[in-house]
Amino acid sequence: MFKTDSGEELFVLDGHVHLWDASPENQANKYGAGFISCFYDYHRNLSPAEYVWERPVFEKYGPEKMVKDVFIDGYVDMGIFQPTYLKDFYKNGFNTTEQNSWLKVRYPERWILNGSWDPRDGDAGLEYLGSLVQRYGIRGAKLYTAEWKGNSRGWKLTDPWAMRYLEKCQQLGVRNLHVHKGPTIWPLNLDAFDVRDIDEAATAFPELNFIVEHCGLPRLEDFCWIATQERNVYGGLAVVMPFIHSRPRYFAEVLANLLWWVGADKLLFASDYAIWHPRWIVEKFMAFEFPEDIRKEFGVALTLDVKKKILGENAARLYGIDIQAQKKELAKDAIAAMS
Amino acid sequence: MRRDEVYGQLGKVYDPELDQPLTELGFIGGVSIDGNTVAVHFRLPTFWCAANFAFMMAADIRERVSELPWVERVDVQLQDHFFDQEINDGVNCGKTFVETFPLLATDNLDELRETFRVKALLTRQERLLRSLLALGWLEDAILGVRVGDLPGLPLSGEGTALAERYLAILQERGLAGDATAPAFVHPDGRPIDLSEFRVRLEHAQRTRLSVEFNAAFCRGMLKTRYGESEEIPGFPDRAADPRQAVRRLVE
Repeated sequence: MFKTDSGEELFVLDGHVHLWDASPENQANKYGAGFISCFYDYHRNLSPAEYVWERPVFEKYGPEKMVKDVFIDGYVDMGIFQPTYLKDFYKNGFNTTEQNSWLKVRYPERWILNGSWDPRDGDAGLEYLGSLVQRYGIRGAKLYTAEWKGNSRGWKLTDPWAMRYLEKCQQLGVRNLHVHKGPTIWPLNLDAFDVRDIDEAATAFPELNFIVEHCGLPRLEDFCWIATQERNVYGGLAVVMPFIHSRPRYFAEVLANLLWWVGADKLLFASDYAIWHPRWIVEKFMAFEFPEDIRKEFGVALTLDVKKKILGENAARLYGIDIQAQKKELAKDAIAAMS
Repeated sequence: MRRDEVYGQLGKVYDPELDQPLTELGFIGGVSIDGNTVAVHFRLPTFWCAANFAFMMAADIRERVSELPWVERVDVQLQDHFFDQEINDGVNCGKTFVETFPLLATDNLDELRETFRVKALLTRQERLLRSLLALGWLEDAILGVRVGDLPGLPLSGEGTALAERYLAILQERGLAGDATAPAFVHPDGRPIDLSEFRVRLEHAQRTRLSVEFNAAFCRGMLKTRYGESEEIPGFPDRAADPRQAVRRLVE
């Protein structure tokens, strides 16, 4: 809950959070070490100095710290777990639905627990997807097209097996697919961040929603084009938002483009915790205004209504959450008692 | 001095995605010269930077440095990258991309390179168009500019550099042969029509923004990773002599 100066309480739904274990004990090889080092550099590079953690904490911070950071200190009312399995890089996986469910069980009102699927798992993966729906009632999934698996170095939404998984999602009501693009390595000669396969999938499955994480950056122009064409394509603002601190001008330009092309109803706030702490992102975003020249050029404004949509209303709509009813539930739970 | 000659050649190697020289980006970690053998240490902002671009840059480093008449052998040493060994082995043996990655690549990198040269053209064009608009030029006057006018446009400092960079990419793409040809064209050489001026500009603006956003991120990540304290020279334009700055970084 973020309270404005005028006393208005804004519902904050963080669209992309993780509870990972990247500790050296869990790393399976140099790729696991390289993966978390890359995240740690993102964290160090874009966070304000007072929010930079020591590396061991970043590698494994545990559920208690996560609850405190996100809900008690970070203004967030609810978070969406976006699992990234990476079982070729981490012995027990990087962050799986099963691991994330530990917190879902303890604080059920606080989390939207998403699953994940990988078309290269074939029939067994389709069954697993069914079991995730049965066990956890998932209504969304994180898709990481750059994941390595055996000899494979990535996949596309247009792969025949991916189409079968999308059909299954449609049948099971797993409506929200959060697609994280790149760097995909297969085939290695093509652009690793290409987002165009999303266009085809979104056309083929109009009942599903495709939330493109970090808005397709660094391929913003392709993403804007696709999102303009397809009414079921959304932009997840992970990675985009932290630029508000170190590169506010770029943040303003990117957000103005997104508001103009994609629209205020189709953008979802995300911290990508634990890469970045939601507290400073929410504070800076609430205080942010477009520079005059950008406001003029694009003719878009970052009003309180727009901020409310981005921070929570859009994600709530995708996941069928009634914000007023949910606020009442949250006021009674164990986390409300702690804060 | 041989070292300066090597850096001079490295200044001609561009990151294909960011359209900036490796020497300005800080991607050259050092050069060592032993007789007629040159070793170039090459490093990237993350462990996961796209391997195809890394290969292109490594191959270009080899090619450019090999152009020096005294050089007999170039040893490109990409470091801290998930495919560093594969890329170094491939490039230093003169293999093509497909030969280096027979199981992962279905083709060489010509198409990818072309895609990003088109983006580079759009990006350079957009910057120049905006600087002319900022000076109060009208759209039809801008579209009246000929290739031969580019070097003499009444711009200053940064604007002059933008015009030079734009002319250079027109030349590279064979669009500058005729000095009386329109300067502002589509990537395929068709002149931009007045009716599409704004749409083209907006389109190019998003391409430029993606490239700049990415470049800013890459620069920051490289600094975080390798801890340079020196500010890397100016963005988006070329420093007068990038080699000076690079030498400072290396030493």
